[in-house]
Amino acid sequence: MASASTTYEIKNEYGEVINTSTGLSNKKLLMWAFLGSDVMFFGSFIATFLVYRNRSLVGPYPSDVLDIPITSVSTFVLLMSSLAMVLALAYVQQGRRKLGTLWIFAVVVLGAIFLLFQVYEFNHFVKVGLTPRTNLFGTTFFILTGLHGAHVTLGVLWLMFLGFGSIKGTLRADNAIDLELAGLYWHFVDIVWIVIFTVIYLISARDVAPPGGMPWVPGAH
Amino acid sequence: MSNLWNKILYHDGRGWWDLPRTQWQEPNPKMEGPLGDGITPIKRIWEITTAANLHHGTPGFYVLIGAILSIITIVEVWAFAWLFLGALLVPLMLLLSLGKFVLVVGFFMHLKFDRKYYAWIFTACMVIGIGIFVALLLLLNYGGQVQQ
Repeated sequence: MASASTTYEIKNEYGEVINTSTGLSNKKLLMWAFLGSDVMFFGSFIATFLVYRNRSLVGPYPSDVLDIPITSVSTFVLLMSSLAMVLALAYVQQGRRKLGTLWIFAVVVLGAIFLLFQVYEFNHFVKVGLTPRTNLFGTTFFILTGLHGAHVTLGVLWLMFLGFGSIKGTLRADNAIDLELAGLYWHFVDIVWIVIFTVIYLISARDVAPPGGMPWVPGAH
Repeated sequence: MSNLWNKILYHDGRGWWDLPRTQWQEPNPKMEGPLGDGITPIKRIWEITTAANLHHGTPGFYVLIGAILSIITIVEVWAFAWLFLGALLVPLMLLLSLGKFVLVVGFFMHLKFDRKYYAWIFTACMVIGIGIFVALLLLLNYGGQVQQ
């Protein structure tokens, strides 16, 4: 039995003609579906971190290594990158190419600064003796923040590509949907960090050795 | 006599059965409302910054949201570093991060301005994600114990 399906052409907000059966932009629908799946992905890793919280039997423990002032600065940098992203999209949509390009590269620079903070933090942790193999805190911390860092890296590369497209004139107001999709991805990475910053850094930062855990002595590894 | 008759049965040239026009059928007069004219400047700022009737906000509006996000982050760090809240720390931090989450998703990701269908997709996935989150916490905390 043949099934009937209806597809029709609509114009999206950029004037682009698209074939759709939902009345929605297919690209944007796909991006939202992907972000929805990524919610579950990160939700699992955050839950795993919380399940193993306070279960490490050897140090370093969160209170020994986490540096809230430094991470607060990197969190602020990522928040500002989200602001830069939304400004970039607004200017590209308005056809103001130079301002749009400027803000796209501002996002790239801020994203790169965030990654440098993460590299510094990882390097510092390894130096004091916390690796993914040291204890449960190390394993769950490095996997969660490392996966987030991988997302940020991908976002920086994507936006760099779009930034050069804007310089060359291939990214314009009429196809700004491409930048909007990258923006959705970037803001999603930002909200994941909002949760990670709260759960790992602010809520768990004072965690010490649990009952039965060995106190950690700096330099004893 | 005819004049009296008209006065009894008619009002402004209309019969008594013809209900007078009510306020909701007319445009609101200026300075109407419990706050008088006090709300107008705020409403005007809101209209300018959100560029009412457009798909997205204006750059000024996004800067305002960015400033609010920064202030919330400063409050979070301040509360963590200077207030020893004990059991209140976790709910407060979760509440503040929920506020940031809503602002970013609603305004920076344009869900407030965009088609509701996208909001439904994301909310549905959030519900499933939170379900997985809670199920994992419960299973790994209580589900793997060997019965003696």
